[in-house]
Amino acid sequence: MMLNIYEQVDRNKRRSFLIMALFVVFVTFVIYILGQASGYGSSWVGMGLIFSGLMSFSSYYWSDKIILGISGAKEASKKEFFNFYTVTENLCLATDLPMPKLYVIDDSAPNAFATGRDPQHAVVCATTGLLDKLNRTELEGVIGHELSHVRNYDTRLMSVVAILVGLVALLGDWFLRSTRWGVRGRDRDRDEGGLGGLVFILAIVMALLAPVIAQLIQLAISRRREFFADASSAMITKYPQGLISALRKISADREPLEAANRATAHLYIVNPLKGEEFKGWLASLFNTHPPVAERIKALEGLA
Amino acid sequence: MILIVVLVVIALYIWSLYNKLVTTKARIKASIQEIGNQLKRQAEYIPNIIASANKYLKHEKDIFKGLTDARKSIMEAVKSNDPQKMVDAAGEFQKHFGKLSVLVENTPELKGVEVVTKQMDELRDTADKLMYSRRVLIDLTADYNIMVVTFPANLVAKLLGFTEEKGLVMPEEGSFREVSEEEMKTPKVD
Repeated sequence: MMLNIYEQVDRNKRRSFLIMALFVVFVTFVIYILGQASGYGSSWVGMGLIFSGLMSFSSYYWSDKIILGISGAKEASKKEFFNFYTVTENLCLATDLPMPKLYVIDDSAPNAFATGRDPQHAVVCATTGLLDKLNRTELEGVIGHELSHVRNYDTRLMSVVAILVGLVALLGDWFLRSTRWGVRGRDRDRDEGGLGGLVFILAIVMALLAPVIAQLIQLAISRRREFFADASSAMITKYPQGLISALRKISADREPLEAANRATAHLYIVNPLKGEEFKGWLASLFNTHPPVAERIKALEGLA
Repeated sequence: MILIVVLVVIALYIWSLYNKLVTTKARIKASIQEIGNQLKRQAEYIPNIIASANKYLKHEKDIFKGLTDARKSIMEAVKSNDPQKMVDAAGEFQKHFGKLSVLVENTPELKGVEVVTKQMDELRDTADKLMYSRRVLIDLTADYNIMVVTFPANLVAKLLGFTEEKGLVMPEEGSFREVSEEEMKTPKVD
């Protein structure tokens, strides 16, 4: 089925929304079950939310500074990185976005990422390998992809998701600890058998499985946002071939990016931990990025 | 009671529509200004590239004459502030610039001169910027015109005196595209 750019953007929005809704429903369900089974109810959930919220908020609010600190990037000037700078300038002109701060990582593996809590604090970062290997048109595709992440508030979205994933993990952990000590909250004497017992068993299963499931949904959202950014990039540049050719070049390069690790891998345009992609139906659920071949296929549908 | 609610809803609708129309109009004006700015920048670079490329391309009198003429019409178009004229002048310049790009590519001694490559880069960049601001202008005008003519917004627009904006007539061109096709090819190594 061929979809034009507008339809693909719309479909991506719809799917992202669907996954997000599913995620919220799932988290609420887990919290409810665990809350019921532990007997602490909502006060417990509130505490978990504050904990997980504080941790993720700091990483969200200072996302630009933290990531740049980890990756060891330096600011890019127009003089030194003419194409990088002017291409970004042009695409900002086209999208009515403020000019983001531009950084360069000195690494020959071609890759790029965007971060920052909103367009006013956005950062776009590219490796020297990317800037050397891509021509201006291909660079436009990549920067268009990164600016789409900025414009779609993907850093914000993924931070909210991370808060929820953290919450589920925390609650599951707390629940298991409390049962190990044989303490089941204030009203542990109330109905032991029957429905209460069933809820309790369900809660233990959930406490064990929920963190993994939450992470899988998080990865699914991450992959969906990549497709979305690809389609938006094609919409901005009106030239999907640029991004297609860039993706081919980036993925053909087998050199892993030294500055990246598992915590920052999801940010990049193509998974920087080369050779760590998982193949196969079940295993592919654990990828941060959709396979490049599938992304190229989606983009070719636009051309 | 219901009447009041209906009136409030209508008032809110008119209010937000008015704001949208005014904002879009302001952005249209800004994008025309942006086109003018880029054209001015382009016009400033033309004498420079002529001066630095001239001595390498002595027999290519036509191209330099073409560039000088194009610069003249750019300056006139900027003065007139008419978007259609500006875009036409930019298209005229683009033709000559495309030829110059090919010449520079095929003249090794010229390609090695840093000043020339720098100026060619700047000119290519202004061409890209012109293309994007022109596209923004076209998109904004289309959005605005759709708002002005579709029901029920057209009633409000008519009431408040908003009329359709003249769009741009334009072949989709640009050195951006031609150059990129060229760049896409893998270089042949003999």
